[in-house]
Amino acid sequence: MKNYFEEIGAWPRSHNIAGSYAVGFALSLMLTFAAYEFVVQNALPHGWLVAVVVGAAILQFIVQVYCFLHIGTDSSTRERLFALSFAGLLMLILVSGSLWIMFDLNGRMRPDSTQMVQYMNDQGGF
Amino acid sequence: MTDEFDRSGILSVDEKSKDSTIVFGFWMYLMTDLVLFASLFVVFVVLRGPEYGGASIKNTFDLQYVFIETIALLVSSFTCGLALLFAREGNVRGTVSWLLATFVLGAAFVAMEVSEFSRLLAQGLAPARDGFLSGYFTLVGTHGAHVTVGLLWLLAMVVAIAGRGLSRGNMRKLALFAMFWHFLDVIWIFIFTIVYLMGVL
Repeated sequence: MKNYFEEIGAWPRSHNIAGSYAVGFALSLMLTFAAYEFVVQNALPHGWLVAVVVGAAILQFIVQVYCFLHIGTDSSTRERLFALSFAGLLMLILVSGSLWIMFDLNGRMRPDSTQMVQYMNDQGGF
Repeated sequence: MTDEFDRSGILSVDEKSKDSTIVFGFWMYLMTDLVLFASLFVVFVVLRGPEYGGASIKNTFDLQYVFIETIALLVSSFTCGLALLFAREGNVRGTVSWLLATFVLGAAFVAMEVSEFSRLLAQGLAPARDGFLSGYFTLVGTHGAHVTVGLLWLLAMVVAIAGRGLSRGNMRKLALFAMFWHFLDVIWIFIFTIVYLMGVL
């Protein structure tokens, strides 16, 4: 029973599990707090804030997948890493394809200024 | 089978291969769930624009409230890991204590979310009002429903461990539950970032 989680491949043998939980927890706390503070203080231009917040989320994703879900390149967890990568590919297609179509559609359906003026005139002026 | 495992502490090759197959199968379920959440995120992002009423809710978010919610779920993810560390040492008392701590934090998270939802509904900000609110309630509500199911699972597991100790079956449940619970915290990182932090930017 001592090494049950390692025996069934839920935990990699090479990992110091207690240490990885502690490190993962500390890093996740810091990243969450940093992202929150940046937004609350509103100290950066909008574009930079978005970059910082998204960057912190991606970092925290990697930290939690590695430290909490114990997914790494270790042979016992490699097949779960493959499954995760394949899900990542599916999500990339799903997300980028949907956003591309929907925002392109929004752009095509937005009237330009001459159409807008024409419409307002037809409706009886400004 | 269980008794033999408890006495010797050694898994047979068959048992090992069966349990690791179950772990992988559960992971495949989580991957399909991940794709489900990805599609809900897309729906939310598409419907967040001002033409779908996105501006209606921006000022009603209380970021500090959501931050506390986020920390509660993150700490519960950590205490869940502690429960497994105690289980590996064969410490039933430690395992059950940390599972109960996980339950309390998870229940606090769900309670805060339910109270936030009812606050919005009381202001007339219901899912049927506009596209933004439909996307918001579907995405955040689906995550909340998962956490609620996790809480029920957690209680059932505490009862099972109190009854039969850290048997092979209970250890396997712990391994699967921990994956589920950590997975939900990973999803929440993106809800916190995309819905709330980027929602007020």
